[in-house]
Amino acid sequence: MHIAEGYLPPVQAAAWFVVSAPFVVHGSRTLVRQVRQDPETKLLLGAAGAFTFVLSALKIPSVTGSCSHPTGTGLGAVLFRPPVMSVLGGIVLLFQAVLLAHGGLSTLGANLFSMAVVGPWVAYGVYVLIRRAGGGLDVAVFAAAALGDLATYCVTSVQLALAFPDQSTGFAGALVKFGGIFAVTQIPLAISEGLLSVLVVRLLTRTSGDDLRRLGVLGTPAQVRS
Amino acid sequence: MFALDVAAHTGAWRSRHPAEKALLSLGLLACAVSLPPWPGAALSGTAATLLLVGPARVSPVLVLRAARVPLLFVATSTVPLLVTVPAATRLTVDPAGWALAAQTAGRSVAALACLLLFSATTPLSDVLPRLHRLGVPPAVSEVAALTYRMLFLLVDSVRAVREAQAARLGFRTWRTTYRSLAGQAGAVFVRAFHRARRLEEGLALRGYTGSLAVQVEVLRVSPPFVAATVGLLVSVVAATVVVEAGW
Repeated sequence: MHIAEGYLPPVQAAAWFVVSAPFVVHGSRTLVRQVRQDPETKLLLGAAGAFTFVLSALKIPSVTGSCSHPTGTGLGAVLFRPPVMSVLGGIVLLFQAVLLAHGGLSTLGANLFSMAVVGPWVAYGVYVLIRRAGGGLDVAVFAAAALGDLATYCVTSVQLALAFPDQSTGFAGALVKFGGIFAVTQIPLAISEGLLSVLVVRLLTRTSGDDLRRLGVLGTPAQVRS
Repeated sequence: MFALDVAAHTGAWRSRHPAEKALLSLGLLACAVSLPPWPGAALSGTAATLLLVGPARVSPVLVLRAARVPLLFVATSTVPLLVTVPAATRLTVDPAGWALAAQTAGRSVAALACLLLFSATTPLSDVLPRLHRLGVPPAVSEVAALTYRMLFLLVDSVRAVREAQAARLGFRTWRTTYRSLAGQAGAVFVRAFHRARRLEEGLALRGYTGSLAVQVEVLRVSPPFVAATVGLLVSVVAATVVVEAGW
């Protein structure tokens, strides 16, 4: 869930830019290094960015009968790795703000931290752990996408609770309030995103095996890149 | 294409330098976010809305359509501010929450108007090639430009796939819906990488050296526009200070 434009107090909005900056700078350096070594990578990264944007725009059914959108961070992190995802996620969030007015420019730092930093790193960490423990690709992808999604929403709840502490119980009360409200929709949504990601990877294994091997997704657990 | 991007490409301010429009809209956005909601954010939001439907000649219908979903987000995010949690299992309406909710929603709506002023007047294709002047590495701005170019094709592809799936009753049950959605994502992945490979081959045949520099239209910064913008921003700040001081 994107925090809307202007929703955060100015000091906190600025602080989240500062917190996100090292990850984006690290991701940018990784991307620049990759492009320098292999200039053709630039085209694949452009395709990956467009894929992530479109993936996050897919409408998945939610339990309330309405539709919601996947974050796409879990699948993106498994396919393209978290450092690159911090840059691609930043580009996607900027495009969502400017082209769709979803999220915002003043809240870009906060949204970056939840969706392009924490979500991808949690998802990738879970994916690598399960693969190293000998888990199957389906289980690893499901857990990565679902927990990456949940981590994103937990961080958003923390960001909102920090910005708007409860009158009586402060940060803890606000965290219960925001977390509780998001949990109703986000836990089923995280499970939905996990299931969808498994179906997507299964489909890609059949139709784009070479691309998945090039990205390091297919292979024995021992071959999974750390 | 996206409605805001179409408006930016066909609008009255299309030929203006993106820096001018950024100074105006992002300056107003900074005022909306950093000044007190009353009257700072109210003045910034009002100025942005009047500029949008006035000199920038953006259709009010388009503005309302673009603002619909973000306004829904603002409304749902504001509800938690109206309640308090005095104990772990109790939730009560907080009378003091109304003022905070109104201030936050007001600031957010004003900031949204400023964002729309930028989005509906400034095409991303004008902004991306100039990002390196702000210190963004050329590789990153070129990846962003490639993403921008490809996503229109992919969004069209998804739309076509979705229509074909709907015609084949692909969204009849939850099971078929998930299968159809996975098909959409799979189709997008395959098409994105196929297109990237075709671009790679095409560029290699043209002696690609690693630079994707494109010709950028030369646009001049208009000093009167910049002066008017600075005047407006100073007026918003001054009016806020005056009202705050109770003069």
